Amino acid sequence: MVRTSELKKHFKDPKTGIKKAVDGVTFEAHPGRILGLLGVNGAGKTTTLRMLSTIIKPTSGIAEVGGYDVLKEPERVRASIGFMSTSTALYGRMTPKELIEYFGGLYGLEGAHLRQRIAYVREKLQLGEFEDRLCDKLSTGQKQRVNIARTILHDPPVLFFDEPTVGLDVVSSQSVMEFIEEARTDGKTVIFSTHIMSEVERLCDEIVVVHDGIARGQGTVASLLESTGQTSLEKAFLSMVGFQSTYAGRPA
Amino acid sequence: MNMTLHVFKKEFRDILRDKRVLRIAFIMPIFLVAMMMCLFGFITTAVSKKHGQVVYVVKTDNPAEKALVKDTFEVVEIPDVATGRKLIREGKAHIVLNFGELHPDGQTVIDAYIDPKEQTSQIALVMVSKLYDLTNKQLLEHDLEAKGLPLSSAERFKIRQQDVSVGQQGGASDVLIGILPYLIVVWAFYGGMSIAADMIAGEKEKNTLETLLISPARRTDIVMGKFLALATVCLVSSLSCFLGLVLVAAVKPPGTAEMMKGGFGVTPTAFFVTMIVLIPLVAFFASALVAISSFARNSREAQTYLTQFSFVIILPAMFSQFIGYTDVGHSQWINFIPVLNAANNIRMALMGRVDTTSLAITVGISLVIALVALRITVTLFNKEEVLVRV
Repeated sequence: MVRTSELKKHFKDPKTGIKKAVDGVTFEAHPGRILGLLGVNGAGKTTTLRMLSTIIKPTSGIAEVGGYDVLKEPERVRASIGFMSTSTALYGRMTPKELIEYFGGLYGLEGAHLRQRIAYVREKLQLGEFEDRLCDKLSTGQKQRVNIARTILHDPPVLFFDEPTVGLDVVSSQSVMEFIEEARTDGKTVIFSTHIMSEVERLCDEIVVVHDGIARGQGTVASLLESTGQTSLEKAFLSMVGFQSTYAGRPA
Repeated sequence: MNMTLHVFKKEFRDILRDKRVLRIAFIMPIFLVAMMMCLFGFITTAVSKKHGQVVYVVKTDNPAEKALVKDTFEVVEIPDVATGRKLIREGKAHIVLNFGELHPDGQTVIDAYIDPKEQTSQIALVMVSKLYDLTNKQLLEHDLEAKGLPLSSAERFKIRQQDVSVGQQGGASDVLIGILPYLIVVWAFYGGMSIAADMIAGEKEKNTLETLLISPARRTDIVMGKFLALATVCLVSSLSCFLGLVLVAAVKPPGTAEMMKGGFGVTPTAFFVTMIVLIPLVAFFASALVAISSFARNSREAQTYLTQFSFVIILPAMFSQFIGYTDVGHSQWINFIPVLNAANNIRMALMGRVDTTSLAITVGISLVIALVALRITVTLFNKEEVLVRV
């Protein structure tokens, strides 16, 4: 389970003083369910996930992952999560086999348990055909498979996906989404951050709409449509973030 | 510690797979030392070479001209001084001699025309002067002998060189003592500099750092693993200079015979001292390089900082090349100046002298600086505003 309460992250900005990247986000994500963080670029989704994965510390508020506080037990939090995003790249001069072993070691896996997990991800993601090739030489789809293998190698109960399909073709995106659905089936707690409505509609059991660092709404797709009185998720989202057209129309 | 070693192994393997690093950090110092030895050998040979040195002489009947040919100079006669000046201006002649009339008292004034800014002209002048100094001495001795006077009358005060052996025998040649400490120290830095930018700033840029930061490994373990890998590269790169020497000793390229007449030129003691001063020095270099790489937003920014920082290292190291011309090499205060102290101790060791006090101060100073730098590096790597700033 993942829980945040009034989570805030303020950065010092030399020009504007304080930049409120996240300014009070509260939500709960549960095992076997996918929680979507929906927002435009710069809304605060990535900052929220970075706080949850202990890369950065919250300015205030509470954040717990798998029952561990991100400030008090950051190493246990990191051991409980798998994180995949466009900003989690692979080492180009390592082969997938070496990379998986390396991260296995970083996650404290060793001996028979490590070998068993490696065999599992190798089989599941069919890494065998390219596992001895350098990551730099792999196709985007193959890199994505290695990235997924790295994410699930230590069998974490919580998975974070930060815009995982950005830059991927339709086929690779499909594989990623199938993998996320499978994670839910396996009882993982999944937080999925995106700005793509169709992905949210397909995957998410619950949605938190984030805008300017603030949670503007929370609920299922159906409840958001109902509360906003809109007919599509896109319109509901635009209504929640207070979208006003910048297009003035034809001049009189 | 296990996690640090785990990161170290990965980093070192990654470094070894980078052909650019292999070239710059490991192969270049070997060839640089070998090339510098050949270059210095070539210059030394050229400077001392008398055979075939061309001397332009304004046409004369003076018998003193014959001394030049006898001494294996190649004499080219020219019609007048104006032609000689023209040849010097065009860079075709190093020296032009114009023999004056034989004076009734037996003296001949020889005007030597040279370009005083041209080193080859100065070398030619020194050689010609030496020849006629010797001729003068021989003629004087001949006169003294004819008059039944002792030959010592020609040289009332004679300087006789008596070598006093200081330190171990079988040390390095003068050229090696001059250049090797500088190269060893500089390559300890440059070897690491070639990969430092990639190590953390490059990871920020390629988005691999976050992958690492979300693992349960402590940031201190990660940065220590990177530091150890970089320090190893610095040390190996520096020691590659010795491989350059081994290469020269084995291949014996032309011109290096004089410099390598004592064999390899580095005694086991000199090598041991070099290792002792190098280890804390590479620890300082590696921590400073990792700190800069952590602080920079990307590789490009890191390269800029590293280039600026390299001047702080190069200047004292460079001074070690000229320290032999001063007395400061024997002063105790020099052991308190980082980098220079290491180069000076290596220099002294190559000369066969080991001063344990100097060595202790140098190692102590380097160790303190290395620990402070490492502390700063670990602190920087644990600061989110440094690590995730873009």
